[in-house]
Amino acid sequence: MSAASRSDLGVKLAGRAEYGVDAELPGMLWAALVPSPVAHGRLRRVDLGPARALPGVVAVGADDLATLLPRGAGDAERPIFPAGEVAYRHQPLAAVAAPTLAEARRAAAVVRVEVEPGPALIDLETAFPDWPGPDGARSPHVIAHVHARHGDVEGAFRTAEHVVEETYRTSSVHQVALEPHACVATVRGDRWTVRTTTQSPFGVREDLSLLLGVPESSVVVEGTWVGGGFGGKGASLLEPYALLLARAAGRPVRLALDYREEFELGRTTLPAVIRVATAVRDRRIVGRRVRLLLDVGASLPGRDFATGYSIGFLLGPYVTPTFEVEGYGIRTNKPPFGPHRAPFAPQCAFVAESHIEEVARVVGVDPVRFRAEHLWREGATTPLGQPVGPFGLAAALERADALARRWRSEAPAGHGVGVGLGFWSTSTGAGGEARLVLSATELRVEQGERGIGSGSVLRGLVAVAERALGLPADRIRIEYLSTAEAPFDSGVYGSRTVGALGRAIVEASDAVRADLAGRMAVAVADVSLAVEGEEIVVHAPGVRRTVRSLLRPDEASRGIVATGRHFAKPNAIDERRVVTGSFYPYTDFTGAAHVAEVSVDRETGAVRVERYAAFQDVGVAVDPATARAQVEGGIAMGLGIALTEEALWSADGRLLNPHLLDYRIPTLGEVPVPEVTFVEGFLGAGPFGAKGLGEPPIIPVPAAVAAAVRDASGAHVTELPLSAERVARTLKLL
Amino acid sequence: MTETVAHLTVDGAPADLAGMPDDERLLDTLRWRLGRKGTKEGCRTGDCGACTVLVDGRSTLACLTLTREVDGSDVTTIDGAARDAELSRVTRAFAEAGALQCGYCTPGFVVALAGLLKERGRAAPLEELLDGLQGNLCRCTGYAAIVRGVALAREEAP
Repeated sequence: MSAASRSDLGVKLAGRAEYGVDAELPGMLWAALVPSPVAHGRLRRVDLGPARALPGVVAVGADDLATLLPRGAGDAERPIFPAGEVAYRHQPLAAVAAPTLAEARRAAAVVRVEVEPGPALIDLETAFPDWPGPDGARSPHVIAHVHARHGDVEGAFRTAEHVVEETYRTSSVHQVALEPHACVATVRGDRWTVRTTTQSPFGVREDLSLLLGVPESSVVVEGTWVGGGFGGKGASLLEPYALLLARAAGRPVRLALDYREEFELGRTTLPAVIRVATAVRDRRIVGRRVRLLLDVGASLPGRDFATGYSIGFLLGPYVTPTFEVEGYGIRTNKPPFGPHRAPFAPQCAFVAESHIEEVARVVGVDPVRFRAEHLWREGATTPLGQPVGPFGLAAALERADALARRWRSEAPAGHGVGVGLGFWSTSTGAGGEARLVLSATELRVEQGERGIGSGSVLRGLVAVAERALGLPADRIRIEYLSTAEAPFDSGVYGSRTVGALGRAIVEASDAVRADLAGRMAVAVADVSLAVEGEEIVVHAPGVRRTVRSLLRPDEASRGIVATGRHFAKPNAIDERRVVTGSFYPYTDFTGAAHVAEVSVDRETGAVRVERYAAFQDVGVAVDPATARAQVEGGIAMGLGIALTEEALWSADGRLLNPHLLDYRIPTLGEVPVPEVTFVEGFLGAGPFGAKGLGEPPIIPVPAAVAAAVRDASGAHVTELPLSAERVARTLKLL
Repeated sequence: MTETVAHLTVDGAPADLAGMPDDERLLDTLRWRLGRKGTKEGCRTGDCGACTVLVDGRSTLACLTLTREVDGSDVTTIDGAARDAELSRVTRAFAEAGALQCGYCTPGFVVALAGLLKERGRAAPLEELLDGLQGNLCRCTGYAAIVRGVALAREEAP
């Protein structure tokens, strides 16, 4: 099955796919947000009078919420408009709508805002010049704290032959989905409807219900095509403002960000500082220590999760008999942090891999061999006490190492070759449901989310249904419905679409089979489906019936409906190892080993990626063309984290590079076409043993590039990205 | 704000525009005045290429072009792909190669490549065509499938 079978290619190539930015309703107004002029301060006054004096302008601010939302807005931690403290620059203080965008922008500009500026905390290290001491968790800047330990880690360090301690720093990266956030809202009576570009229609519905203080049954979210998500379009962002304006105006309202605002308001991965230490005795790791300062910006729910989850990736996929880890989520005056394709995992893998390479060099063991000797295998135990399931990373590393040796033997002077590893676990999210409808001539998958371009919905779910029911792809159609009609699913994120929702598709397919078997009075195992002419036909030994003939009169217009469910996995962490906070339990174990060949300019420090290869543990590749496309795309995005991408803030909280010229993502000439190899047979938790694949391919990239840069130039760079300037400084060229 | 008029041909149809702000960008004219939304708005600063259209056959960033500047011109967008031989050729090649995921940058890539093929000819070296696409950003594909699509568009029989 080639990628060309994706049913969205035609509509997208013809320019007919409606994205969030394209949505338009008759009589709609255009909206703009009124941004905070400072990163931190006390809000004295927001005077909407001058805006309201302009013709056709509707304006809403904190004072209007009581009227517009009679039941009271719901989330004290996430006020729609701040009433007292302003927490970050560009935080929306009010919203306006007008007949044209130009008029809306003018109206936003005349709103009088008075804020008494306060000291802003921007650089997280200034919060803790000497690192958090024993009382670190009590600091007012710390809003999440996790701590875990196991075994006699002090003894391990005391009796070690080698102790290697390092500090790493990682940068803030933006998703850069090319489509900015955009939506159109309508309010009629108590029905709040929003058409929006989102990875999670049901997640946005839940958010809106909470933020607006209205029941979920009153909120309808209609998903458009999504012009890239990468984590940035998971939660609500603009929808509450558009809905409030629509309610105040009594007309539909469109709110979209321009790209500068996309950078300034988007939820991004923020910087972190990581201290790692490893104790070695008899060439074996005997103890690990990790301390993490994670910038979580102006804070949102999820900060505890982010802090705890990162720790696992910082320890890496390596066996360690004793360890102690401590993570602090630091509140700064930046926009709230948010997920970015495998949130923070590529940065963590960069730290874990660069550090283990350093340890191997200090100990005097080949870095690949040292990794292989400590790698998790099936049956091993993670530091947090979870048993490791089928895991293809050792197999992937073996093949990556063989290729790296060949490339190194061929490489010209000035080139270097590096190997980087990463792991991931398919998320189940909050669970969900699949609904299949079998008519006389087609199978429909009724669905709330459209996917984000990866093909996980359009090809992944269709391929699962093909395999589960034996129907060809051209008889399987995804029907997109609003949240009022679609079955609940928690969204396209966490590499969960095929891995988790796919299981629900299999369960629903089994229910279709069982239903058909019942109608034909045959055994379920004997039922098979086929297409004959126009009709879908059900075969069993000695029986052949068209689906049409099996439909009951009340099903004639729709078809046979079947549902399947999937659930979150129970926590498998050994809680005796947890001192405080929560850590992330794995659903399954997905490994990836990457090989990078780079050249380093000995005068400027500029790094060029010459060749690239990925060995990806997939369990089973449900649709190989789509899986390959995920790996290719993940590598390119990872190269951005590795080499160029870094959002920069001034000391007073101004984003210094909010445009694509200075925030550089990789271009066509900077990404080699990679060699992609699937490692199959180490089965995951998904249908037929598949593993989620949206995120794993991005994870090892910065690690592999850093290892290659070190091989090429000797530069052991401990900060991301490996910009020419950083490499040059490390090589003392500057 | 001064108002202005412009007379364009857009995808073969005449567009007589009056009462238009004289700083209106071609991108906004196409999308919101003419309802031709196949052309996408990305950065609006000329850095991403998503809004690429052909003005009298030449690749042009609609976000950095004032509509009044192209008065009298023939504008071709993705919405007119079926009418244009090079656009159709590129569209077929991109479908065959699966050269898109979310599809948002796709109209810009298709139009830019069609413009390159018109300008340089179908015999232009692959490297030259790829160089000409460096101003178009894609975040999903890692460009690998796009490179395959460009190769196919070159090779396809006329």
